[in-house]
Amino acid sequence: MSRIGVFVCHCGMNIAKTVRIDDVVEFAGELPGVVVAEGYKFMCSTPGQELIQEKIKECNLDGVIVAACSPLMHEKTFRKVAEGAGLNQYLLTIVNIREQCSWVIEDEDEATSKAKALINGAVYRTHLLAPLESRFIDVNPEAMVVGGGIAGIQAALELAATGKKVYLVEKSPTIGGHMAQFDKTFPTLDCSACILTPKMDAVLQNPNIDLMTSCEVTEVKGFVGNFDVTVKQKARYVDHDKCNGCLSCMEKCPGRGLSEFDEGLDKRKSIYIPFPQAVPQKPVIDRETCIYFKKGKCRVCEQVCEQDAIDFEQEDTYRDITVGAIIAATGYGLMDTTPLVQYGYGKYPGVYNALEVERLFNSTGPTEGKVVMKDGKEPESIAILHCIGSRDTNYHEYCSRVCCMYALKFAHLFKEKTSADVYQLYIDMRCFGKGYEEFYNRLLEENVKFVRGKAARVTDVTVSPDEEGKLIVEVEDTLSSQFMRLPVDMVVLSPAMEAQADAGEVARTFNIGVDKDNFFREKHPKLDPLSTTTDGVFLAGACQGPKDIPDTVAQAIGAAAEALTIVGKEQLELEAATVYVDPYVCCGCQNCVRVCTYSAPSFDVEKNVSEINEALCKGCGLCAASCPTGAIIARHFTNDQFIGEMEGLMEF
Amino acid sequence: MEFEPKILGIACNWCTYTGADLAGTTRVQYPHNVRVARVMCSSRVNPAFIFRAFQLGSDGVLIGGCEPGDCHYSTGNYYARRRLAITKKILEFAGLEPERFRVEWISASDGIKFAEVVKEFTEEIRALGPQTKFKVKKDIET
Amino acid sequence: MKDIENRLKQEAKRLLESGEAEVVLAYGRGYDEKHPMPYAAKAVSDVDNIVFDEYCTFNMTRYLTEYPLGTKIAIAVKSCDSRTLIVLMQEEKVKREDIVILGIPYRDMIDSKTGKAIDNSTACNLPNPVLYDILLGDEVTERDDGSPYDVLKELEEMELDVRWEFWSKEFSKCIRCYACRKACPMCYCDPCFIDQSQPRWADKSPSLESNLMFHLTRFYHLAGRCIDCGECSRACPVDIPLHLFHKKVSKECEEMFDQVSGMSLDDKQVMVDFKMEDSDEILL
Repeated sequence: MSRIGVFVCHCGMNIAKTVRIDDVVEFAGELPGVVVAEGYKFMCSTPGQELIQEKIKECNLDGVIVAACSPLMHEKTFRKVAEGAGLNQYLLTIVNIREQCSWVIEDEDEATSKAKALINGAVYRTHLLAPLESRFIDVNPEAMVVGGGIAGIQAALELAATGKKVYLVEKSPTIGGHMAQFDKTFPTLDCSACILTPKMDAVLQNPNIDLMTSCEVTEVKGFVGNFDVTVKQKARYVDHDKCNGCLSCMEKCPGRGLSEFDEGLDKRKSIYIPFPQAVPQKPVIDRETCIYFKKGKCRVCEQVCEQDAIDFEQEDTYRDITVGAIIAATGYGLMDTTPLVQYGYGKYPGVYNALEVERLFNSTGPTEGKVVMKDGKEPESIAILHCIGSRDTNYHEYCSRVCCMYALKFAHLFKEKTSADVYQLYIDMRCFGKGYEEFYNRLLEENVKFVRGKAARVTDVTVSPDEEGKLIVEVEDTLSSQFMRLPVDMVVLSPAMEAQADAGEVARTFNIGVDKDNFFREKHPKLDPLSTTTDGVFLAGACQGPKDIPDTVAQAIGAAAEALTIVGKEQLELEAATVYVDPYVCCGCQNCVRVCTYSAPSFDVEKNVSEINEALCKGCGLCAASCPTGAIIARHFTNDQFIGEMEGLMEF
Repeated sequence: MEFEPKILGIACNWCTYTGADLAGTTRVQYPHNVRVARVMCSSRVNPAFIFRAFQLGSDGVLIGGCEPGDCHYSTGNYYARRRLAITKKILEFAGLEPERFRVEWISASDGIKFAEVVKEFTEEIRALGPQTKFKVKKDIET
Repeated sequence: MKDIENRLKQEAKRLLESGEAEVVLAYGRGYDEKHPMPYAAKAVSDVDNIVFDEYCTFNMTRYLTEYPLGTKIAIAVKSCDSRTLIVLMQEEKVKREDIVILGIPYRDMIDSKTGKAIDNSTACNLPNPVLYDILLGDEVTERDDGSPYDVLKELEEMELDVRWEFWSKEFSKCIRCYACRKACPMCYCDPCFIDQSQPRWADKSPSLESNLMFHLTRFYHLAGRCIDCGECSRACPVDIPLHLFHKKVSKECEEMFDQVSGMSLDDKQVMVDFKMEDSDEILL
């Protein structure tokens, strides 16, 4: 390149505040090969873009440098600008003088000289750039949603409604997720089942949705537009193609296991559907508790099944599915509060966690909706402890977001169903959503006692006769600075919503990132909250962070729209920065073949050189760095472009 | 004049470069001495780049990649880890202060770590003084 | 010694006669007794020219990559040389089934340049070949020579600046004749990175800077592959102790990645391999 234009953005005052634009423009204008250098207030605005296009034409530029914000922000924008003026989009270099310069350096001299050095590096690099051709690939029009909670259900329904085929993969035997366990939802007190079960049924009925329960994704290969996903169908020991859902097997089954759905508060059969409204209405056998699997005798279910659907020999099977886009909606786990021994969970029968309480309220739950404790008695006093494991630097620093609100909901339901005294032990009440503050105000009128302080300990060691037989919650009321001992019958813990225990593993399978708390990481917290760093993999719901149902559903619909931007297209443009082999330089060492994750390089024995299948290349450049002779040329990141850039960066 | 180190940074696009952006967006201040070149993956870094960077007059070279397990290309940084480790041993055996070469895993969400690393590294290099051993006395034509 | 030579000739003859080998890579007479030459016997009539004595230090594997893949080759190898074979096989530059390995159980060869015995301070000097088809004599018994890395002690203990003095003085001597590269069986790249013009990694003419770029990069290219035959140093006309640097890199590779180069056909080169559990501490 010999005719380079440098365009320096003020970004309002964001850059101009610390970088002396005029100084930088003057400097850039004198660099070798630079024929025009201009500054402008907002280079990304329409007039800014027009300025660049005008200069490209007027000065017949063959290279453009935009010194502005991060390339991760506007590289695509400016590439379009270049293309619009007839310049190949890969002849553009972005210099990041905002995030890497003006925003992190206070001193004007330092920021200005760094901006110059960065631009100098870009000029060296731009001289060596080559035009590249964009590549296009055909897109598989189908999509996959992983996780069958409310997020996955909503996303699948949305995508199916556009006519797209959707695979909905759920690891448990039913869809519904945590929401199916809830009795009421805050702040409207809608019956959770009443709003969820119709959606679950809609999934089952939708011809565009392939519902895959008891399934797990074990491998994801390929890329946006064409992911090759391997799904494991876990053995159910019931052939669902034959089963007609009469459930007579379940009736007769003598085996018993703890009900996962009822949080272990109740039992279920060994051949079971998780709850009466489960979807699909077809049972599975729990191998761990099945009498036949344990003792080798029984097979009662087999005898009663008229469909001949019981299959004790069934094994896990694997299915390969190709999809264009994937939505991860794998949900959350509730923190295990047993290690927080100060609260006595698991030690005192009167201490419950929030999901257990949900089941106590529910008419299909272990107590058929009656609030009675394990001893069969109705509690006379109840303390709801907020922020257990959340907002706590010993466990999770983050706010779990939903606990304040469900704690209020619990208080309301306790008041409705019992005559108990109800205490809320809170740090701050966080009622930020639509109608939430109003719900809080309503509860303030319902004779619920609010104590501002985090519970320190739950104990059964009594110090006075009126504490006898009670659980004592120790807390400092920080409004009155008084230390309190609250004698109660029932303690409800509000444990943190946390990332699923296997989130790290799942993230690796999908090749997406996790944040420090192991929640899946979004590409940009503000401007790209549903995307991940892997193109074509999107996020919905609590797998990305604690959130309530309205936010989850909104996110799911958004994720479906994101997925549609992929599967709605016939072809996708791919980054042109792949690698190729210069056969005259290749020494045939095959390092490239050995290191590539994507099997893009292969070796031609006849010619004694490597070749690249560019359709498989993702442009990481690993092979180029592994090539001793430099035969592998990483387009847009070639050895000489990189060395040139280094030289420019280090020159001044 | 006081010695101002010139440090070359090489950051992978997906984690460290994004993390550096985050440092910017959240206005975490750090020394101006590191000049970052972007690569798609830390595995793109050819050890010869490092030798060359020191010849070009870098007082220090800082390489940033994704945390192990988080590589956008799944395993690139595992290769980088081995290669850059041996690069450091080669530099040291040749007689260059190994402290002048540093590799850090900085995730996209860790703007603060990026700033901390730059601060610490810049101070270390400042204490070491100018790198003169590898620096080419006259320019090589490229 | 004479026995080995006789066995070598015998086997060479047999292999060429039977057609099991198209060529036998061994040693031939040079301009005097102390300077034998690499030798390729292509016909039975060539066999008489084969010699073996303590000056036959060459690592003949260096010539293997000159032949097209699939050529049936018999090759005489000593201990380190056999390790080269393993590396070349790992790299698929030669195929196990194409090679008849004539193992020479002999150590303490003599470097004709110095007149001194080669020990494990200048080469790996294992007593016997690691891999062979036919052993031309009885196995040499093990002997405790200490570690081949003991020789590094002095350099390792030097102050950084002193070590830089040492190496910059050594590298300044380099005349860029590339004898080291030519002698090295692993340096089969054609063209070598240093000979290219885009990018030009370093000046073509010798200077400390350009020599440094060449040698350091070459050390890196040999990392985890060098099997410590010492040919580079013996080939060097200005006596740069290149093998010491290679030894150091090998030692670090062994310590960091727990793998000794050229000892097992099942290994993968450490620089094109990784373990998830590699420690981050190796970067410190």
